[in-house]
Amino acid sequence: MSELFPRKQVMGFVFSLVLTAAALTVYFLDVSFTVGITILLATAFVQAAVQLVGFMHVGENEDKTMIYMNIYYGLAIALFTIFGTLLIMVWDM
Amino acid sequence: MKIDNSLPLEYGTEQNKMNIFGFWIFIGAEVMLFATLFATYFTLEHRTGSGPAGSEIFELTPVLIETIVLLTSSFMIGLGVHAMRIGRKNAMITFFSITLLLGLVFLGVEIYEFTHYAHIGAGLQVSAFTGILLTTLGTHGAHVTIGLFWGLFIILQVKKRGLTPQTANKAFIFSLYWHFLDVVWIFIFSFIYLKGMM
Repeated sequence: MSELFPRKQVMGFVFSLVLTAAALTVYFLDVSFTVGITILLATAFVQAAVQLVGFMHVGENEDKTMIYMNIYYGLAIALFTIFGTLLIMVWDM
Repeated sequence: MKIDNSLPLEYGTEQNKMNIFGFWIFIGAEVMLFATLFATYFTLEHRTGSGPAGSEIFELTPVLIETIVLLTSSFMIGLGVHAMRIGRKNAMITFFSITLLLGLVFLGVEIYEFTHYAHIGAGLQVSAFTGILLTTLGTHGAHVTIGLFWGLFIILQVKKRGLTPQTANKAFIFSLYWHFLDVVWIFIFSFIYLKGMM
């Protein structure tokens, strides 16, 4: 039975739950917007990384350099789109 | 067909490796799709017109249920892939089935949430905010719905044909898709719900 529950994945799951609980502090505690957003950015991106590396096995593929490059490319476009939009439409710069 | 036995079954042939790499490119495109939705959401977030704001309609309980359920299902499919790699077909099918059941629970809660929104006057056409909110959530929900059918067919195929380089490859690619949906949900949970309720 225990061979069906590899340590790495169980730890990844527990860690994800802890990060979810950490993110909830912004709801239960009275934090300022800046502090809250910082907490959320940290917990969300760390959790995404846990999924990618721990569960999606990106690193064990022999094409991993190309896969990482593709993820970074997708992520770069995503961040440019989001922050570019924020810059012009929300922050009014 | 040449099968490389030093690698997990799902990477075993040249075609398999290309399928997996191709799917990562698709995921890259999906990242950009959701980025445009998030960018639009952040732009329209406060354009509520005469409709309600996020802080007035978001409720923690259903959102937390959705989060935990999807996180657990993502864990389950990870265990499913692990079981597949050690050749435990029945365990793999069990884990994949639990994954889909949890996906179904997620979808049920989301449908409840959407009808609740429509009920309290936060339907799709009420304001720019409700429009982009429901479009973003709905795009994710549509992905989950497609995933449920896809996963069901994968389970049936593994049942019928056993673990071959082809079925293992399809199952692994489906697991990538499912984990990705959880990643998207983490961002929805953090930057739509929690940010809205903060």
